[in-house]
Amino acid sequence: METAEYSVVLFYSTSNALQAEKLFKKTGVAIKLIPVPRQLSSDCGICLRFDRPDEPSVKAILEKKQIEIQGIHPI
Amino acid sequence: MSENVDARGLACPQPVVLTKKALEKADEVFVIVDNETAKQNVSRLADSRGFQVSVEKKGEATYLHLTRKVSGLEKSSVTPATKSDVLLISSNTIGRGDDILGNTLMRSFMHTLTEAETRPSRIIFMNSGVKLVARDSEVIGDLRALEKQGVEILACGTCLGYYNLKEAVEVGRVSNMYDITAALLDADKIISL
Repeated sequence: METAEYSVVLFYSTSNALQAEKLFKKTGVAIKLIPVPRQLSSDCGICLRFDRPDEPSVKAILEKKQIEIQGIHPI
Repeated sequence: MSENVDARGLACPQPVVLTKKALEKADEVFVIVDNETAKQNVSRLADSRGFQVSVEKKGEATYLHLTRKVSGLEKSSVTPATKSDVLLISSNTIGRGDDILGNTLMRSFMHTLTEAETRPSRIIFMNSGVKLVARDSEVIGDLRALEKQGVEILACGTCLGYYNLKEAVEVGRVSNMYDITAALLDADKIISL
């Protein structure tokens, strides 16, 4: 895990981020709530970090539940 | 002159209180305790008072033999005071207001702390803050990382007991009001959240 490559998904609001977090936990996708990295900016100060290979499932889950995101970025 | 303290069956902080009294009177103290927390707390107290500690376990009981180190070689007199920044976390949320937001801020803070350039030497958890070191806490990974980086994690034993979390501690050390008070009073800087 030390060398894991991560991406983050950014949201438009904190409540969307928290809603998505619950969803990922339920579906077993390993995520971590972290502050939005300095080099990125977002309307909301927190984002969810995930293992980069999980990107397709992250996208699929968010789309299915129609949670709007601001973007996904590698970090 | 030596003193004997039988602290078996006594609840925290009694073993520490009795040992402290004995250390003031004698250069050699024999203490019997029956649990790990008491053993650790008594050992730390003795160490901080310049006593050598040797431990022997016999069945349920642990025997601690405390002897005063030769004067002039006491830890406090040879080790120069190092800078001590203490972070005091007395709630599982940051600030007052909505708890969901407060908890989110705390998690975000702990993550950031693992990546910060300066770190506190100690983090002390009190009141509902102790929930952060116990099972189901979202920040255990971060706290473990901080501990690995040399940050001392202390959780208030009274508080863990109150919230029924004594058996659920996942990271750090169970501490008592003596250690916590000393850490706060000795600190160069305290950040209280």
